[in-house]
Amino acid sequence: MKLDIDESRCKGCNLCTMVCPYRIYQPGTAPNRRGIYVPHLDQPERCPNARLQQIYGRRLCGVCALICPDQAIRWEKEKPYEPHNVVIEY
Amino acid sequence: MRDDWLRADRLPHIYCAGCGNGTIMNCVLEAVDQLGWNMDETVFVSGIGCSSRAPGYIRTDSLHTTHGRALAFATGVKMANPSLHVLVFTGDGDLSAIGGNHFIHACRRNIDLTVVCMNNYIYGMTGGQGSPTTPIGKTSTTTPYGAAEMPFDLAELAVAAGANYVARWTSYHVTELTKAVVAGIQTPGFSFIEVRCQCPTSYGRRNKYRQPGDFITYLRESAVLKDRWDRSSAGEELPSEKFLIGEFVRRSRPAMGVPDEA
Repeated sequence: MKLDIDESRCKGCNLCTMVCPYRIYQPGTAPNRRGIYVPHLDQPERCPNARLQQIYGRRLCGVCALICPDQAIRWEKEKPYEPHNVVIEY
Repeated sequence: MRDDWLRADRLPHIYCAGCGNGTIMNCVLEAVDQLGWNMDETVFVSGIGCSSRAPGYIRTDSLHTTHGRALAFATGVKMANPSLHVLVFTGDGDLSAIGGNHFIHACRRNIDLTVVCMNNYIYGMTGGQGSPTTPIGKTSTTTPYGAAEMPFDLAELAVAAGANYVARWTSYHVTELTKAVVAGIQTPGFSFIEVRCQCPTSYGRRNKYRQPGDFITYLRESAVLKDRWDRSSAGEELPSEKFLIGEFVRRSRPAMGVPDEA
């Protein structure tokens, strides 16, 4: 699972930066195309829902997605991990 | 998934940045989603106001009715077909000012509805006029020197009028609010959930909570858990700037419009 902020919905209220216990959301610094300071994600792989939802089979925490007034925060499914063959060139 | 209930083509909604109504919509949809309701058997009813735009963003049948009459319309829907799940979104001005009489009589009749009141302390959509829930001393467009009248305590009003389930939370307490909506839906009879939410644009701008974060901090700090207060206060009066949150009442008075009895 991958944490994602939908930039077309976010209005930059920064409520997610208040509630996340891991402080993954940091206030945005640069305005986007619509002039909105969308929060940026600081190491989003730390999110317990992204890490452990598959194991527990239910949503964990999820406070950011519930408090987001603009329905902009979601978790997107990722493709399962595939081992890659790494070719080392000498 | 909660996202399935939203009309994605209508989003982003017109609420201001940081408006609490979107949060409450999330929590209600999460509760409805946890219960696994069928979209075709659910009706959302709303009146007029910011809060009442919420059903427009939800992919079910909905009624956007006249000002204050959401409960009257919802009563009609429920009595015509008791097997439908009827939820009412309403605001404080809609419910307590214009629809005050409908509210107390819906509580008295104990119709099997779930009412979520988004209490943002003012009339937000029309420009921030004082509503019956504006706290004493807070400024609004119509109370420029501070509101001088006692505000309504909607949860206590619903308890006194005879609702079967009454709870109050704020838009900061999202998980508790979701649980309260689930409990209210599962309780037969009239369930009333008051949610104090932030309005940074119309109310916060005139009361030093211009940023949504400041408003949320104010809500969090002035909310007192009812259970804890009942245990520790020994009958003393709550300070006037604080308010109680929690479950106020859960009882089983005879209800109207419950599918099994109808």
